[in-house]
Amino acid sequence: MTAETSIEIRPVVNGMSHTSIVKPRVTVAEYLRDYLGLTGTKTSCEVEVCGVCSVIVDGLPVSGCAALAADLDGKTVTTVEGLATGDTLSHLQQAFIETFATQCGFCTPGFLVMGTALLAANPQPSRDDVMEYLEGNICRCTGYRPIIEAVLLAAERMAAPQ
Amino acid sequence: MSVLPPFALHRPSTITEALEALSFDDMPLGGGTELLLAMRMRMLRPDSLVNIKNIPELHTLEIDGDHLVIGGAVTHQTAAEHPLVVDQLPILRRVLLEVGNPRIRASGTLAGNLIFAEPKSDVIPILLALDATVTLVSSRGPRNMTIDELILGPYYAAREPDELLSEIRIPLGRVLRAVYLKYQTMERPTVGVAALDHDSDGDVVRRVVIGAATELPVRHDFSPGEPIEGKSIAETMEIVPDIAGSERYKRHVVAIYVDRALAALDREERA
Repeated sequence: MTAETSIEIRPVVNGMSHTSIVKPRVTVAEYLRDYLGLTGTKTSCEVEVCGVCSVIVDGLPVSGCAALAADLDGKTVTTVEGLATGDTLSHLQQAFIETFATQCGFCTPGFLVMGTALLAANPQPSRDDVMEYLEGNICRCTGYRPIIEAVLLAAERMAAPQ
Repeated sequence: MSVLPPFALHRPSTITEALEALSFDDMPLGGGTELLLAMRMRMLRPDSLVNIKNIPELHTLEIDGDHLVIGGAVTHQTAAEHPLVVDQLPILRRVLLEVGNPRIRASGTLAGNLIFAEPKSDVIPILLALDATVTLVSSRGPRNMTIDELILGPYYAAREPDELLSEIRIPLGRVLRAVYLKYQTMERPTVGVAALDHDSDGDVVRRVVIGAATELPVRHDFSPGEPIEGKSIAETMEIVPDIAGSERYKRHVVAIYVDRALAALDREERA
């Protein structure tokens, strides 16, 4: 079996199909930002600690800094750009605004993505569940409390009859 | 911001194909949660990676006789959620749900954790405590070994460059009760203590495995009735001072966490 130096991938990103050719060294975060122009996904620590590059791949949370774009072939990817429906924000995004969970904003996409992944896996999380799930995301502005409140508020609204 | 060094990628779909691809200049790529970081820091520069994620045989999670078999590409999250682990080895589930963060657990594999031989692993102490064994396969044939035999030092496992960790086997039905208690202020534990009571030919043997504070996990077995003191255990350990604390501080934390783990074990009904 020969080793490949360029790889064709066909992921579905935020509902749109893409066909791209990437080198093996291209990370998911680089692919989203540089190939697709989806710059909502940030990079910072690049060692899977800070969480700003978080995206959801086939339902699972992934650090875009430490995953290969080559692995996205056939996968469904959700980035922060895919959370809203048209101009309608998701419950979590709306809750972030209302609880003042954003200050400088750099960490916000990562928290929104991880919060979304948490609420998908556990729609009624306790405060401890939220704190545990978000332990891999760093915010240097808010002190975390408004972010935790936002996730709990979104969970409450999502559970309420529409 | 740094980029990964260039490399070529093999994408085998069987173990046989993966073994054909593996040689001295390549490395197997599992979750990549350690390997890709080490490559980004230029600590490792393989010519090519052999992506083992799409090999169905390596995603096995099943009972074979009186052992649980976990394939070499099974992630922490998958194992933690699997009904066999939930039913048969709840202590393993509890430890796996404490590994890293949700993204690490969703990508990282138990096998990768072993092969990377991270001295601050949560997984290695519990697998050692549970008497797990591993199988390394290569075109030269399989080798079975214990965790002791596999983990030779910090970041140093007994895998040869052409070998692949195909499965982890954990004996079932021996553990009477078990706990894992860790102290952690940063990304990795300062100390992690696995304590369990297991049945050894009718006698209840108490085992304590202490990870993260030393280069290699430390294991002690105690006969029934033998007194166990965290302080005296900690005094015999070659504690490694690091960013998590000085030698003196960590020795103190180890002693306290051993005592707390044993107290928690006494309160535990069953495994």
